[in-house]
Parts: sequence; structure tokens; C-alpha cells
Amino acid sequence: MSKGVLVDLTKCIGCGSCSVACKMWNALPYSQTSQQQGSNLDADTWTVINRAEVKKDNEPAWRFIKYQCLHCDEPACASACFSKALKKTKEGPVVYDVSLCVGCRYCMLACPFNVPKYEWDKAFPEVRKCQMCANRVYNGDSPACVSVCPAGALTYGEHKTILAMAREKINGDGGYVKHIFGEKEAGGTSWLYISDIPFENLGFRTNVTTKPLPEYTESILGLTPAVGLSWGALLTGMYVYNRRRNEIAKEKEKPGNK
Amino acid sequence: MDDQVKEDKQVTRRSFLKMMGGLSLAGITIGLTGCSNTTTMAEQAGGDGWLPQQYQGRGNWPAQVRGRVPIDPDNPSIVRDDQKCILCGQCMEVCTRVQTVAGHYGMPMADDIICVNCGQCTLWCPTAAITERDDTQKVTQAINDPNKHVIVQTAPATRVALGEEFGLPPGTWVVGQQVAALKRLGFDAVFDTNFTADLTIMEEATELIKRVTGEINAPLPQFTSCSPGWVKFCEYFYPDLLPHMSSCKSPQQMLGAVAKTYYAKVKNIKPENIVSVSIMPCTAKKFEAQRPEMNDSAHYWHKKDIQDVDVVLTTRELARLIKQQKIDLSKLPEENYDPIMGEGTGGAIIFGATGGVMEAAVRSAYFLITKQQPPADLFNLTPVRYLEGVKEAAVEVPGVGTVKVAVCHGLSNARQVLDAVRAGNAPWHFVEFMSCPGGCINGGGQPRSSVPPSDEIRMARINSLYQADAKAPLRASHENSEILAIYEKFLQHPMSELSEELLHTSYTDRGKKINALTS
Repeated sequence: MSKGVLVDLTKCIGCGSCSVACKMWNALPYSQTSQQQGSNLDADTWTVINRAEVKKDNEPAWRFIKYQCLHCDEPACASACFSKALKKTKEGPVVYDVSLCVGCRYCMLACPFNVPKYEWDKAFPEVRKCQMCANRVYNGDSPACVSVCPAGALTYGEHKTILAMAREKINGDGGYVKHIFGEKEAGGTSWLYISDIPFENLGFRTNVTTKPLPEYTESILGLTPAVGLSWGALLTGMYVYNRRRNEIAKEKEKPGNK
Repeated sequence: MDDQVKEDKQVTRRSFLKMMGGLSLAGITIGLTGCSNTTTMAEQAGGDGWLPQQYQGRGNWPAQVRGRVPIDPDNPSIVRDDQKCILCGQCMEVCTRVQTVAGHYGMPMADDIICVNCGQCTLWCPTAAITERDDTQKVTQAINDPNKHVIVQTAPATRVALGEEFGLPPGTWVVGQQVAALKRLGFDAVFDTNFTADLTIMEEATELIKRVTGEINAPLPQFTSCSPGWVKFCEYFYPDLLPHMSSCKSPQQMLGAVAKTYYAKVKNIKPENIVSVSIMPCTAKKFEAQRPEMNDSAHYWHKKDIQDVDVVLTTRELARLIKQQKIDLSKLPEENYDPIMGEGTGGAIIFGATGGVMEAAVRSAYFLITKQQPPADLFNLTPVRYLEGVKEAAVEVPGVGTVKVAVCHGLSNARQVLDAVRAGNAPWHFVEFMSCPGGCINGGGQPRSSVPPSDEIRMARINSLYQADAKAPLRASHENSEILAIYEKFLQHPMSELSEELLHTSYTDRGKKINALTS
């Protein structure tokens, strides 16, 4: 049921069709910098292509890295969002509902991949990020960026299917590194990457935990009821004890008891 | 009567307002909490903008995906404005099918976005998202600098296309008006690339003869080297055939080199004060001028930081400069090129069309071998003219026998010839290659008179060149009096030591940038 996209970095020619399709479909305005390779995500730029100049077999090589929201299976942003403006849908996309957002920006702090961006220059700002064209996905179509890739670098499909495809590829003789980025990172993501160059050389954050991030808060906050109850019980006990002691003391002070 | 009273009591003005107020409050609350949304978030999240029809499909149903060609942001020839791109895929179409560049190399890539700089995509792009890199500022700056002596050369093909930018019919011959416009723009001297086209022929024909007679040890057939898009294509995809490539520089680079040596000497101008501009139908010329080895005038003077050609403007950029100055080209008088490097023959004029270099070379090679004027049919070598993809001809030359030549234009056609040469099935002595379909007249820097380029406009421009050749007083390169003068005063003879230094070049094996296609 859950969908995903497999990015084969060895196939990307760096044309940037995906970023243009994203602008078109989401009706995002262009900025001067968003056209240059090497730019970052911002409120109006939900996917970018960056050029990594690396070495392969001691020969210089270029790789183009498509970057966007990875749509974690258990998203930290949605977990941090107390107003439920961010939600993981069952189709895979992590989507944003502006009508619920209070603008606290906890999601931006929570995201391990630094994806959500804020409209700092707006009077009524929104949090903005790739939503994996959730309505296209819902209607059985692939995200806009995937639909325009002329190089076959992006494959859309059932998460299980593309994960199997990725495994088959990296275990084949294509010279891939034996690592599917997104299989375990942050507890798994809907977008998966495979590459012939180690991901840390390509600017990926590889030191991210493999545990789903919400688990960290859950393990602490899960204690809340127990802590609340026992604290309450303790205080109640003390109250009852004190009251009883006072009563006894008062009894003793009564003149008739002497 | 009783009922009436009851009803009045039920809906009083006050209670009605109360009810409406309560309802609105409830409505607003429901709206604000988002409870009124009947659609789910997944249905509404993200955009619902516009994507071209060919990318609309269900799931992984193979849509007619075209995407677009990759363009390096540092590409010296072409730039793209993402805001104008509609992902129509026309650039991909021409690059893949006509020029056989995109999609003809394996992935993953080396450290180069493969591009031969031909600029055909700029002619096919319906929104002009892909255009030439605009260098007009550099020219304006140079002209406004009183210390600089700014010279300009114009390629053969611009004179039959520039008029189209000013409303004249395709192919209109505007050579005189173009010179007049350049002089009004403030250039100090206006030269004709035809002059060095003739010089190229002298060098290239001599090289061919030396290859045929075995005087230089280089394989046959000899390939022409005037088209920088084609040269880079060969460097990328057929580096093993580079020994076939004539060592002659293109006419643009020859003029650049002699301008900062010969012309600088004659006029007694410091070479570093000369700014050499060229007006070309071509975007690849921008790349060619920046090639690091194209600085032979610097070697000649033992100086640094001199490039033979400083700025290359396409026909479209020249039109822009002229329009900025509010000059109407069609109303200008006809003026003449400046002497020393301003004379060209009919053979040079037809350099702008496919087959033209070959025809001009044959005329002069015949003369250089036999010391006789070539027969009349060599001045009308129809088998190599016009728009057929690969053309062949055989020419009888007394003392040598049959000289077989081939001509191709458009890089997909070049592949046919190159594959034959690679396989050892090439009967030819000399092959002319032009990167763009139709030759320079349809170069990537020419006016976008039809999008995509049409044969009708190509033919109008080609016919205009051949008509000018037929009317030219001198039609073979070896008759050019300024060519005779430069050899007498400066270069001595074709392929002399100085000619080799200034007019010849070497090529770069770019085979490493191309990974083999798999599957």
C-alpha cells in the first residue's frame, strides 16, 4: 500500500527536469538562486539537484544528487507536531495541513534531514516542503518529478517492490555500494537511494540514527502516566497522613481531653 | 388564533438573530478546526498545477517521457532559463536524434556534462528557454574603452541571416549593411572571416596534398576541422580517428591569430590592446575561442594572457546590439570591409553551407596540384551541395587521378561516415563535416526564423550563398590578393614554420569523458 521512490544516483544526468516539474505542479515561484546547481531547499524550492564532484577509481567523477523530503516511515516532524498539521498518509507521503499549523516550527527542529522550511518573509507563514505530490499519488499517478525524469534515475512504486529492486541492483554487478540509503536511516524512509559512490562522500547525512526518531520521545513520554499516577498517589498519601496527624494533634489539644 | 400567537412567540426577531449568531459561531468554529474539509489530506496536499500532457500517466505507465538535456551552468555557449522551460522535450529530441549526443554515452558519467556546444537546442526550444550565453556586455565594454583597438570579423553565414532579425525575408544578402552596422556600433576595424576561410583552404588543401603524396605521415581520409561542434564531437566519440582531422584551425581562429600578429605588426598596435571579436552563426565558436591552446599570438609575442579571439557573438547577439542602438539594418547603406583582412572569394562565401568547404578546397587543390585553373564543373560541384545527409563526389585531377570526397552535415550523418572510416570501408580522400544540419547557415547562433528550423529557410540561406559565389569576381581561394600578400609579407608559404605555429592546432582526446553505453 505504501509507495516509494527509488533514486539511482548512477543514472542521473543532472538535467533538472524534476526540479522544474516540481515548480510547475506545485505552482512555486522561481528565485534567481534556485536555478543554480548547488542551491539548497527553501520555502519555494522543494527539490534540488546538487552536483557532487568526487573521485571514482582515482578518476574525477560527477554525481548529481536529487534532494527533497525523504518521507520517513515514522516521521519525526509529524511526531513533534502537536497540532497534527503534519501527518504520514497510508500511501506514503508526509503531508502538511496549513489549517492546523500553529507555526511553532518544532517540525523544522525535529527533522534529521533539515527539510521543512519556513516562509520567514510572509505575514502568515507556512511550513513548506515536498509533499510527494500526495494528490497524484492518491490518484494512482507518480509524483511530478518522477514522471518527467528522462534518464530513468527515478523509479516509483510499492515501497516493498522498489526496496527489492534496490537490493537486487546493489547485489548485482553494477558496481553499487552495498548500502540502500533510506532503508534503515531514521527508521526507514519512503525515498530510497542507491549509488556507486559511498553516500558520506556525496553529502548525505549517514550518521543519522537507524531508530525511528519518535521512539526516543515515546520511550520518555511513555512514562508520563506512571509518573503522574505515582506522584499523585504519593502526594495523596502525604495529604492523608498530615491530615490524620493534625486531627490527632487537635484532639489532644482539646481541654476536655486533659 | 392560538396558533398564531404561538408562532410569533417561537420566532421573534431576537430569537432568530440569536439562532443565526449561534449557527455562524458553530460554522466558523468547525471551519477553523478543519472539520468541514470533506476531502482527506492526501487528496488535497501538494500542488495541482500544470504538467505537459506527455508526463501525465497512471502510476508507472510509460508516459512519453522526454525531459530535457542537461546543461552545465558553466557552459560557455548556452544557458537555460528554468522559468521559461516547459519540459516539452524538444532539446532532448534534437540532441538525441539529430546530433546523437544525449543518450549516446553510458552512465554513470565522468566529470563532464557531454555537450558539443552546437546550440541546435537553442533553435528547437519553442520558448527560448535555452539561448546563447550573452556576451554583448563584454563587447560594449571593449568599445567604450579608449585604450582598446576593437576589431571584428563576420562569418560567411551571418550575412544571409542577420536580415531576418530585421524583418527581411530569409536568405536576404545583407553583407554591406552588416559592415555599416558594425562601424556604427563603434568597431575600429571590420574584417571578413572569408579572408581566413580562403587562408584555411590554402593550408588545408596543402595538407591534403601532403597526406596524399605521403609527405606527412597522417591517415586518409582527411577530415575538415572548421566546425568546432564537429571537432568536439570527434574528440568525444571518435578520439581514435583524430589523426584524420586536419590540423588547420577554423577560419575564426586563424583570423584571431593573424589579427594579433600580422595585423598588429602592420598597424603597429600592441597585441594586448587589440580586442578581437567575431560574429558567428555558431554557439560552439564561443567554446572554441576559449580553448586554452587558442593563444598562439601570445606564444608569438612571448606574452601571457592573450587569447586569439576574445569575444564571440552569435548572429542573434549582434542583432540585439544593433537594435539596442536603434539602428534599422535594412535602411543602412552598403559599406565595405576594411583592407588587409577584408577580401574574400566565392569559395570562402560558400563555407557557410554544407558542401561549401569541400567545393572551395577542390577548386584550390586542383590549382595547387596542376598549377592550372580548375575546369568549369568544379565551380558548380552540385553533387556536394544542398541538404542530403551524406553526399559523395569524385573529381578527376590530372597527375593524381580520381579524388574521392564525401560531405556530411548533422552529427547523426557524421556517425555513418565515421563508422565507415573506423571499419576501414572509407574510399574517400577528403571528408567535410559540419555539425549543424545544412551547415553554418543553420548554426545554433542564427536567427530563430522558424522553430524548429525548416528546410525552406535553410535552402533560402544556402541559395543566397551560392548566388553570391556565382557572381563573385574571384571564386577560388588561391586568387585572393590579400592571401597572396599575407604569404608574401608574413607567412611565406602554406604550412611554413610560421603557418604551422599560428594557423594549425592539435586536438584533445576526450574519450575518457565518455563511458561506454551499456544495455
